[in-house]
Amino acid sequence: RNSRPVLIVYRFRKSRLEMANAGGAPIMVMNQSTQRESGRKAQLSNIAAAKAVADIIRTTLGPRSMLKMMLDPMGGIVMTNDGFAILREIDVSHPSAKSMIELSRTQDEEVGDGTTSVIILAGEMLHVALPFLEKVKLHPTVIVAAYRKALDDCLSTLETLARPIDCENREEMLRVVRSSLGTKFVSLFGDLMCSLALDAVQTIAVDIDDSKKKDVDIKRYARIEKIPGGELSDSKVLSGVMINKDITHASMRRTIENPRIMLLDCPLEYKKGESITNIEMLNPADWKRYLEIEEEYIEKICKDIQSFKPDVVITEKGVSDLAQHFLQQANISVLRRVRKSDNNRLARATGATIGHQPDLMHESDIGTRCGLFEVRKIGDEYWTFIENCKDPKACTIMLRGASKDVLSEIERNLHDAMNVARNVICDPRVLPGGGATELALAAALRSNSQSMHGVSLRPYQAVAAALEIIPKTLIENCGGHVIRLLTELRAKHANGKHTTWGIDGVKGRIVDMEELNIWEPFLVKSQTIKTSIESATVLLRIDDILSGVSKGKRDPAGGGGLQQQQTDPETFGDERDG
Amino acid sequence: MALQSVLSIQGRRSTGSSVRTENVIAASAVANIVKSSLGPVGLDKMIVDDVGDVTVTNDGATILKLLEVEHPAARVLVELAQLQDEEVGDGTTSVVIIAAELLKAADELVKQKIHPTSIIAGYKLACKEACRYIQNNLTISTDDLGKDCIVAAARTTMSSKVISVDSEFFGQMVVDAAMAVRVSDGKGGYKYPIKAVNILKAHGRSARESVLIDGYALNCTIASHAMKKKVIGAKIACLDFSLQKEKMKLGIQILLSDPTKLEAIRQREADITKERVQKILKAGANVVLTTGGIDDLCLKYFVEADAIAVRRCKKVDLKRIAKATGATLLTTLCNLEGEEVFEVSSLGEAAEVTQERICDDELILIKRPAARSAASIILRGPNDFYCDEMERSIHDALCVVRRVMESNSVVVGGGAVEAALSVYLENFATTLSSREQLAIAAFAESLLVIPSTLVINAARDATELVPKLRSFHHSSQVKAEHEKLKYYGLDLMEGTVRDNREAGVFEPGISKIKQLKFATEAAITILRIDDMIRLDPEQKEESHYQKARQQGML
Repeated sequence: RNSRPVLIVYRFRKSRLEMANAGGAPIMVMNQSTQRESGRKAQLSNIAAAKAVADIIRTTLGPRSMLKMMLDPMGGIVMTNDGFAILREIDVSHPSAKSMIELSRTQDEEVGDGTTSVIILAGEMLHVALPFLEKVKLHPTVIVAAYRKALDDCLSTLETLARPIDCENREEMLRVVRSSLGTKFVSLFGDLMCSLALDAVQTIAVDIDDSKKKDVDIKRYARIEKIPGGELSDSKVLSGVMINKDITHASMRRTIENPRIMLLDCPLEYKKGESITNIEMLNPADWKRYLEIEEEYIEKICKDIQSFKPDVVITEKGVSDLAQHFLQQANISVLRRVRKSDNNRLARATGATIGHQPDLMHESDIGTRCGLFEVRKIGDEYWTFIENCKDPKACTIMLRGASKDVLSEIERNLHDAMNVARNVICDPRVLPGGGATELALAAALRSNSQSMHGVSLRPYQAVAAALEIIPKTLIENCGGHVIRLLTELRAKHANGKHTTWGIDGVKGRIVDMEELNIWEPFLVKSQTIKTSIESATVLLRIDDILSGVSKGKRDPAGGGGLQQQQTDPETFGDERDG
Repeated sequence: MALQSVLSIQGRRSTGSSVRTENVIAASAVANIVKSSLGPVGLDKMIVDDVGDVTVTNDGATILKLLEVEHPAARVLVELAQLQDEEVGDGTTSVVIIAAELLKAADELVKQKIHPTSIIAGYKLACKEACRYIQNNLTISTDDLGKDCIVAAARTTMSSKVISVDSEFFGQMVVDAAMAVRVSDGKGGYKYPIKAVNILKAHGRSARESVLIDGYALNCTIASHAMKKKVIGAKIACLDFSLQKEKMKLGIQILLSDPTKLEAIRQREADITKERVQKILKAGANVVLTTGGIDDLCLKYFVEADAIAVRRCKKVDLKRIAKATGATLLTTLCNLEGEEVFEVSSLGEAAEVTQERICDDELILIKRPAARSAASIILRGPNDFYCDEMERSIHDALCVVRRVMESNSVVVGGGAVEAALSVYLENFATTLSSREQLAIAAFAESLLVIPSTLVINAARDATELVPKLRSFHHSSQVKAEHEKLKYYGLDLMEGTVRDNREAGVFEPGISKIKQLKFATEAAITILRIDDMIRLDPEQKEESHYQKARQQGML
């Protein structure tokens, strides 16, 4: 039946805290259900768990990576080679394995790419510490200190390896995005996806006032709409927004060129007051009057709207039949119940300001930057296109493709690609890909280590060895000869000159990244290394795992500090109609 | 030892030496759990609850809190750690270890037929003498050491934590934060309300990229996207009411007889709020923070006035912001005359208010508030457990910094104080001719558990290093020219004895004194017990229905 992937790497030795009393009966100090694993055993099980997680996704690294297919408990299918998407679906029980999975979440949220590398690297960082714990019996704090020093050295070396890139140069930008997408499913479709991602990100990039930096909010202003059917090559970035809505009245205009657009977030229907009001009517005429008031109210707001002469009115709330009638008479097309987030995008794309009361609007609140308003039928659904906007600051990416599952994977890939583009725009520096950066770092660490002495030398060198897991995995995944290629590369990097030599993940040979043009954003690389080494240090420091304490008495704030909860990020509106 | 039917209670009773031994074993079991987390080379514990949530920590109080200790005597120790955490904030592990060791030593003495009350008297005397000695001979004034010693003290407490490698970085940060929230107590001294340091956690980046913000960070987002993301020269209004359409309170009904009035009521509802907003804006506010909601209706006014509005802030946050910026947290706009006004004086000021993106989330930063400096620390780390543990460590460090700055004195760490006290108390014991002599000697011996645990955690030879340390302290106490040797403590990385005053290993003196007092008191509490009655859980009466069924009545 439904085979939810379950990773079993978590078995506790049943060692309860019992101590034999002279009298014979054991003294129960702790809760009976608590299980404990301590000392070396805990350290080894942590490392084993981390390694197990890393091994799951090893095959998804590089251009010759394979997808994983997963069935979720609801029976849905996920097909992906995105590290985070895979780990999210996996149900692990070992606490350290869980913390590993958290890493890829961190990576995903912080930079959006490199979720696989971070897990593989963190797993390897722990793995290389194993001999020190087991054979040499080094103290974990010594290893941790050496790792930390290695991290600092890595980061400073990264600075020297990085090279600047011109964000305005489309060719160069495309190259970076292409390197990221090269490992993904969509690489089959060539440059299309790269240009989609780049276009979208460049559309929504806005300058932060009085600084050179740019603000790119992908989550809010670049929406991906997946429409099954058609061909992948039909996908495009709209210079505007599309929404899954039809106009409310059949006889309204469906195509308008250069429309004047009015955005509202109020209902165009009669709404009762907030307070509880009862009406006592003594006179039958009052009843008539009462109904008239409602109609008059609607008529008034429609008049107010008409005074601005908009061609399109879009509101987040409902529109009553009567209002539709008035607006249709005035030759205005109406869209209702648009999502808040869509409305925000519309506002950015058309230059309109969202209004709440039609009578308090200004001429400047009307959006005029749109070139074409059109309702089209794609597949079985009506879509409203607000296109050809001049200088839109928000966009929709329309994805077409064979099936929903394929589209979901493409969406994930596109997300990664957009994040890559954003990272480059935010920090316009790149590093060579294909394992070249890792090898260069490893070489730098090795040469640094020659002037070191003391016990921390070997764990420091171990970091260098661990970094090589990335090129090693790349070679493995494309079926190359690991030892031969890796030694060749090491020789290339040894003198510190050929820092751009790495693995051609398709052909399985060593190549200069300058030729192959594989470049990765600086932010992604540095984040990967930071996260993996730091997480390894926290797991290495653990010498005791206690499990089974009950949730009831917990207070995660522990030391008594302030607990700040992460709040739900997208809550814009307070009042929403049903 | 089942209870005979003399008393009409059901349960088990144990008396005399057996209960004492049992208590001691339970206490040492608790101490053994936390032992390995002591000192700069101590390690962390991973605690998993039944839901699967993970906590990684090195903090003694946190470990014990999460452990669910059941044994009553062991619970005393858990509470002891909690007490130390509340009082001092640091040294929670040591206090448990010392208390357990004191109990162990006492148990030995009781087995040699010394009455517990004599031991208790001896322990009390020893504790008093030890505290006096710390105060008179071992504390160093921070004025003699200079400013660096405060950072050094923060680093000492962090050295055992996950951020030990970055202790230099965080030490400075913590001291800066504590200085930022300093307030005068009106008597020439200063108070350091460390709770005012706002600590936020966000995973991502690396620990080294944690930042201290001169101001207040608020985990909220601006209410509308059309608003500006940055206001310079902010005038801040802090409100504790909603800017939503006015609504009659529950149970109030409005009865109308004229239908045309209905529209007027509707209009009025919207206008009341609108007037309020306009009053606030008119006073010059360009940042409005409220604990309640803000209607979409009102957002437009703020957008037009180029103001930032933030809804659903936490009240505690707003109280602090109000204090820092000099604003008044208003629960209503009404004044005593029943009019609604917004005074310009209730506005607070700050140099800058911005919304910044951190990780996948947004934060509102109120930078450089006018009335008082504030501090917020944003912690970054590879995952949430790491950030949680960092927060606990920073909290401990803040506590230590506060204690050091308030008392203006430190003692030397690394087992120096314990070794010195042990030597001193042994000499002191020989001056007494009563039974207490033995107890005081035992107390002196027990204190050595701290240096020896430190050494054992560092995987060094305790039998070699601890006597060496003691010999240094002995000569410092008998020979006047060797007085400097009293600052000698352990260097655990190298496994030697060194001058820890030079090395900058400091702890607040108050922490050590409290540790001794609390540990002694806890040990005494447990020592006094000579009888334990454990009641059986009450048998649940079966319901009448089931009873009836069993009896075959149904």
